[in-house]
Amino acid sequence: MKSPLILFLLLISSVFVSAQNGTIRGSVIEDATGDPVIFADVLVKGHPNGASTDIDGKFSISLAPGTYTLEVAYLGYQTLVLTDVVVKANDVTILNDLRIKEKSDGEGNVIQQVTINVKTNKNTEASLITMKQRSPTILDGIPAAKMELIGDPNAAEAAKRVTGVSVEDGKYVYVRGLGDRYTKTMLNNVDIPGLDPDKNSLQMDLFPANLIDRITVSKNFSAELPADFTGGLLNVETKDFPDKKIFNVSIGTSYNPAMNLNKNYISYQGGKYDFLGFDDGSRALPDGAEKSTIPTPISGSKSQQVNDFVNSFNPTLGGTRQRSPLDFSASITFGNQISLTKGDSMPTEKDPKLGYIFSLSYKTDYKYYSDVAYGEFQRSQKSSVYDMVQANMQTGGMGEHNVLIGMLGGIAYKTKLSKYRFTVMLLQSGESKAGIFEIDNASEAVGQSGYYAISNNLEYNQRTLANVLLQGNHVIPKKGWEIDWRVSPTLSSSTDPDIRKTAFTYASNDTFFSAGAGGNPSRIWRSLTEINVTAKVDFKKEYSLGKMDSKLRFGFSETYKKRDYEIISLFMQFFGPQNWSSTDVNQVLKPEYVYPNAPNKIYYQTTTISPNPNAYSSDVTCSSGYISNEFQLSKKVKAIAGLRGEYYLQHHTGRDQAWARGDHVSGKNLDDTIVINQFNLFPSLNFIYSYTEKSNLRFTYGRTTARPSFKELSFAQILDPITNRFFNGSLFQYSSWAGNLVPTMIDNLDARWEMFLKRNQMFSVSGFYKMFTNPIEMVRIPEQQTTTEYQPRNVGNGKLLGVEIEVQKNFDFIHPAFHKWSFSGNFTFVQSQIDMTSTEYNARKQYEKEGQDVGHTRPMAGQSPWVVNAGISFNDYENGTNAGIFYNVKGPALYIVGGGLFPDIYSEPFNSLNFSFNKKLGKEQKTQIDFKVSNILNDKLEAFYKSYKADKQVFSSINPGRSFSFGIKHSF
Amino acid sequence: MKIKYLNRIAIAAIAIGTLSFQACKDKTDDGGEDVKPVDEKTVVVTENITTNTTWDANHYWQLGDRITVTAGATLTIEAGTIIKGEAGAGANATALLVARGGKLIAEGKADKPIIFTTVADEITMDQVAAGNFASPNLDPNINGLWGGVILLGKAKISASNSSGDVSEVQIEGIPTSDPSGLYGGSDDADNSGSLKYISIRHGGTNIGAGNEINGLTLGGVGSGTVIENIEIVSNQDDAIEFFGGMVNPKNVVSWNVGDDGIDTDQSWGGTLDNVVVITPGDRSFELDGAEGSMERRHTIQNGSIICTLDGRASTDLANVDPNTIVTLKNLYYQNAGEGQIFNSVVETGVTFENICVDVAAADLSMHFKSGATIPAGITACSTKYADISGFGWTWAKAAGVLSTL
Repeated sequence: MKSPLILFLLLISSVFVSAQNGTIRGSVIEDATGDPVIFADVLVKGHPNGASTDIDGKFSISLAPGTYTLEVAYLGYQTLVLTDVVVKANDVTILNDLRIKEKSDGEGNVIQQVTINVKTNKNTEASLITMKQRSPTILDGIPAAKMELIGDPNAAEAAKRVTGVSVEDGKYVYVRGLGDRYTKTMLNNVDIPGLDPDKNSLQMDLFPANLIDRITVSKNFSAELPADFTGGLLNVETKDFPDKKIFNVSIGTSYNPAMNLNKNYISYQGGKYDFLGFDDGSRALPDGAEKSTIPTPISGSKSQQVNDFVNSFNPTLGGTRQRSPLDFSASITFGNQISLTKGDSMPTEKDPKLGYIFSLSYKTDYKYYSDVAYGEFQRSQKSSVYDMVQANMQTGGMGEHNVLIGMLGGIAYKTKLSKYRFTVMLLQSGESKAGIFEIDNASEAVGQSGYYAISNNLEYNQRTLANVLLQGNHVIPKKGWEIDWRVSPTLSSSTDPDIRKTAFTYASNDTFFSAGAGGNPSRIWRSLTEINVTAKVDFKKEYSLGKMDSKLRFGFSETYKKRDYEIISLFMQFFGPQNWSSTDVNQVLKPEYVYPNAPNKIYYQTTTISPNPNAYSSDVTCSSGYISNEFQLSKKVKAIAGLRGEYYLQHHTGRDQAWARGDHVSGKNLDDTIVINQFNLFPSLNFIYSYTEKSNLRFTYGRTTARPSFKELSFAQILDPITNRFFNGSLFQYSSWAGNLVPTMIDNLDARWEMFLKRNQMFSVSGFYKMFTNPIEMVRIPEQQTTTEYQPRNVGNGKLLGVEIEVQKNFDFIHPAFHKWSFSGNFTFVQSQIDMTSTEYNARKQYEKEGQDVGHTRPMAGQSPWVVNAGISFNDYENGTNAGIFYNVKGPALYIVGGGLFPDIYSEPFNSLNFSFNKKLGKEQKTQIDFKVSNILNDKLEAFYKSYKADKQVFSSINPGRSFSFGIKHSF
Repeated sequence: MKIKYLNRIAIAAIAIGTLSFQACKDKTDDGGEDVKPVDEKTVVVTENITTNTTWDANHYWQLGDRITVTAGATLTIEAGTIIKGEAGAGANATALLVARGGKLIAEGKADKPIIFTTVADEITMDQVAAGNFASPNLDPNINGLWGGVILLGKAKISASNSSGDVSEVQIEGIPTSDPSGLYGGSDDADNSGSLKYISIRHGGTNIGAGNEINGLTLGGVGSGTVIENIEIVSNQDDAIEFFGGMVNPKNVVSWNVGDDGIDTDQSWGGTLDNVVVITPGDRSFELDGAEGSMERRHTIQNGSIICTLDGRASTDLANVDPNTIVTLKNLYYQNAGEGQIFNSVVETGVTFENICVDVAAADLSMHFKSGATIPAGITACSTKYADISGFGWTWAKAAGVLSTL
C-alpha cells in the first residue's frame, strides 16, 4: 500500500514542480544507422541550461517560456543547430529523432555544422525510413511519432499501414500471406501467449496506439530473434516514458446493418456478469458431473438422485431471437514522465526519471451471421462422375456477443545509464454464441445415414490473461556495451463452459432426438490453463574492427510453458420412449420430462473415463543462445553473420483411449514423456550493399522452424459442436500415420533491391525461396467416413518461390498539390509445392477422374499463390486530417488437405476493402473523431471444396457484413 | 450339488441386495462415487481379451469398458450366459469389439440363449433357465444404455480409402483414436467365429452425433463366420448393419430399434435369410451401394415386417441409393401406413420379387413416391414369408409381438 501512495504523491507533486517553466524533450539519433546517440550534448544558446542524452538518446531541458536556439554536439559529428524552438509554460516541446551525421563524408569533404529551422522543417517519418533503410535485416514498422500523426486508435489499425501486413478479423496480423503457423507476434520483445490458445498471434486491437512506442515487423530471420517464425515477426513495444502528459478518454460505437439492431439476432440466457466477460457460475459444471460414474438409472442410482442430478444442469438449451444493440467501446489512457528531483530544486538532467502509462478499455460487440453454411462433400467413386456428392449441409444463423476488458499499466525508472521497466497487462474476454441451424444429411453419401434436423448450439468462451514484464537496460558508453534483460511471466486460461448442442431430428412422422441422425443433446466443458515464463538477456558491444564499426551481439533466453487441458462431455439419454409436446428446445429440460417422469425420462450419460484421455498436460522448455556480429565490410557493404542455438524440450502427459480404458498392452500412455527433444542451430547471414545513398541490395539467408503446438502434439480429440468436425491430436497412431509429428525446418533465402526517395517513398523488388522440411498440415483422416475428422500431420517436403514488389509513392509526381496523398502497397506472387507422400499420391491416383492427370506435387497448405495489400492515404498533419482506404486480398489457398474420397478444401479470396478517416478538432487539436467502414465490398469469408472439373462446393461460409464505426477521443 | 447351487444363488441375491444398499449409502456419503455392485457371480471385465478366454454360464459378465478381442485371440461364451454392459457414452461406452483376426464363439441354444444387455437389466440366469426370456424390469423400448457387439473381419469391402479399394476403414461407433476399429481386407471366406441364439438388448449408446453403435455391427465379416438366430431389441441405432463382407446370417429378429431395421453398406455380398423387422424408428431396410469400385449384390429374403405397432411407426419400407445393388425377395409388410414408402423403384441394381404389402390394392400406390410406377414384383397381398417357428427363444415372441406373423 505504501509505494502506490508515494507514487501518487510524486505524480501530484510533479505537476507543481515546474509550474512556471516549459520543457524541451527530444532524442538524438545517428543518421547513418538510426541508432540513439548517448552522451550527445544539447546546449541552449546563450543560456546555462543544457543536457546530455541518456541511455535512450533522449534529453530533457527545463526552460522559462520563450524562443531558443539549440545546438546538438557530438564528437566527430556535425553540430546540429536548431532555431526557433518555442517553449511554452507548462508545456512540452518535442524534438524527436534529431539526426546527426559524421563530419567526414568519406570522400574528403568535412562539414562542421548544419542548421535547421524547427518551425519550417517537420520531418516526421525520418526515423522510420532509417530504420527500414539501414537495418541489416528486412525490417519494417511504424514509430510512435507516425502513429500519433495518423491517429490510428489501436495497434491493429496501425499495423495494417505496414507493407506486407494484413489484418484479419480486425485483430490478427498476417505477414506476406503466410498462415498463422508461420507468423509470430511478441509484446515488448517477449513471447507471450495470445488470448486465443489456438493461434500463434496476439490480438492487436488490444493495444491503444498512444501507449505504443513502435511496431516493428521483421520479414527475415536474424540470430537475436526467436527461430520459430518464417513469414514475419511482429513486435509491439509499449511506451516507457511518454514525451508529454497523456490523458485521453475515448468512446466509440459501430453499426453493421446486418448485425446490429437486427431483430433476428440470436442470443441465449447467460449469466449476470456476461457484460464483464466472465461467467457468474450459471454455466458451471454441476457437482459430480466430472466423474466417470454419474447418477443414471442404469448404474443403480435412486430415482431422486438421477432427478436431482439432471435438474442441476442449466435448463436453457436454445437460442432466442431478439434485437441486437449497437457495439460500444470506451477507454481511458494516461501516462507521463516526471523528474525525481531532490527537495524542491529545479529538475536537472541528472535527476532520475519516472515514467508511467495506464490504460483501461472496454469493448462489447454483437455479431449476427444470418446465412452461415457448413458443408461436407465427397468425391464420387466413379472416375466418369466429376460432380461432388453432398454428404451434409448445415445452414442457419448465428449470433455472437463479445466482451473484452483490457488493462495495461507500466512504470519505468531511468537514470542516466540504466533503465528499468515494469509493465502489467490484464485481459478478460467473454464470447457468447448462439446458433440455430438446419442440418440436411444425405444418405447417398458414404458413411451418412440421411436425416433432417434443426440444431440449437450454445457456446461460451471465457479467456483471461495476465502478463508481467520486468525489464532493465544498461549502457556502458565508453566501452560500447549495452545490456538488456527481461523477465516476463504470463498466466492465461481459456474455458468453454457448457457448450450445448440440441438437435431435434425431423422424421416424416415424428420429431424426436435420434442418436443415429441429428444426435442426442450434448454438453461439453473444456478448460485450458497455461503458464509461460520468459527470461532473456541481450548484450551488444560496439567496437572497431580495423577502421570499421562493428557490433557484436550475443544473448541467452529461457522460455518455459506449461499447459493443462481437459474436456468433459455428457449426452442426454431417454429411459424409454420420447414424446415431445413442443419442438422448442428450451422446453426439453422441463421437470416433468426428467427421469423418472415419463414420457422422455431424461438422464445423462457421461463420456468421461478416468484417467481422462481427453485431458493432457504439456510443458516446454526452450533454451536459446545466440551470437552475431555486424561487420561494416566497406563504406557500402554491411554484413551480419549470426548463429542461434535453441534447445527445445517438450514433455507430454496424456494417454489414448485404449490406455485410459485399461488396455495397457496396446494403449499408449505418456507420463511426462519427452515428445520433442531437439537442439538446432539456426544460422543467419544478412548482406546489405548500399550502392548509392538511397539504394540497397540485400541478400539474406536464415534457417527457421515451425513447431507443433501443444494441442497438435497430444491425444486430444476436440469436437467443434457447431460444425460437428473433430480435431485429433497427432499422437494417435492411425493407419499409415505413425503418430510422430516433428517440427518443420525451413531454409529461407531472400534477395532484395530497394530504393528510398524523399517523403518516405520507396520501391523494392524481392525474391524469396523457402524450403520446408517436414511441413505440418491439417489432413482429413481418410479412414473415418462417418464423422469428419482432421489430424495435423507431417506431409512431404515443400518449397516455395516468391516475388514481392513493395511501393510507397507520393502523388506529388502528378502535381505538387497532391503531396498529401500517397500510395502504399505490396504485391506478392508465390509458387509453392509439396512433394506428396506415396500414400497421398496413391489416394489421389485412386480417385483420378477421366482426363485428369494426378501429379506427384501439389500446392502447400495455407499458402496463397498471390497476395495484394494496397492502400491510398491522405495525411494532412497540420490540419490533423488523415484518411485512408486499404485493400487486402489473398489468393485461394489450400486450407485442408483431402485425398481419396475427400476433396481438397480451398479458402476463397476475401476482398477486404476498408476505409478510415480521422480528424483532430479544435485549435489545440485535443479532440479527435474517427470514422471507419469495414468490408466495404460486403464480401463473404468462404472456403470451398474443389475437385477436378467439378463445380466448387461450400465448406464454410459466413458473411461478416459491412460495418461503420465512429469514435471520439478527447485529450485533457 | 443342486441344493448348493441354489444356496449360492440365494447368497448371491442377498449379497447383491446388500451391496446395492451399500452402494446407495456410498453415493450419499461421497456424492456419487464409482459403484459397481459386484457379487461372486459377477465378473467385471475391464481388460481386452488377448488370449483365448471363456466366459462361462456360471457368471454374469459385466462389460466395464469397450472390450476388444484382439487378433489371434478367441473369446468363447457358453450357452445361457448373460453379459451386461455398464453405462457410458463416447469414450466411456461399453461394447464388445472383435477385431480383425479375433474370434467370437458364442453359441447359445434355443433353451439357453446368450443375452447381451445392460447392467440395469435384472434378468437372471435362473429366469432364462426357466424359459423367461423377457427382462423383468425394463421395457423393450429403452435404448442407449450401453454399446453393442461389433464383429470385424478381413473380407472385401467396397470402400473408398487413401490406399485404394481393398484397404481398411474405421467402423462406425468406434472413435478414430482406436485402430482396433479398422476392418476390411481381401479374404471373403474369413472366419470371425460363430454366433448362435443371441439376444442383444438396450444398446446403441452415443459416440457423437451420427456416430453410434449398432446392436450387431458386421464390418468386413467373411463367409466363414456363422451367424444365426439373432435378436436385437431396442438398440438406439440400427439392429444389424453390414459394412461389406460376405457373411450369410439367418433367422434374425429386429425389434423396436431406434434407427434402421437392417442397414447395408459397402457392397456386402451375402444373403440374409428369414428375417423379422418390427417397428424400427427409421427405415425397415436402409440399403446402400458400393463406396469403392467393387460392386456386388446382396439379398434379403423370406422376411416379415411390421411397420406400425403399439404407437411406434417406421419410416421407409425400404430406402435405396442410386447405386444400390440388392435383391429383395419374399418380403411381407404388415400394417403399412401413410408415409411409409419404398423411396425409389427405378434403380437398375434393385430387384423386387414377391414383395407383399398387406394393404388394399387401391392403397398400394400410397407406398411409393407420387407418380412412381409400381414394379411387378410388389403387390398388395398377405403372404407371410418369415418362418417364425424357430423364434420361441426370443423376447419378441415372449412379448407376443410375433403373434400376427
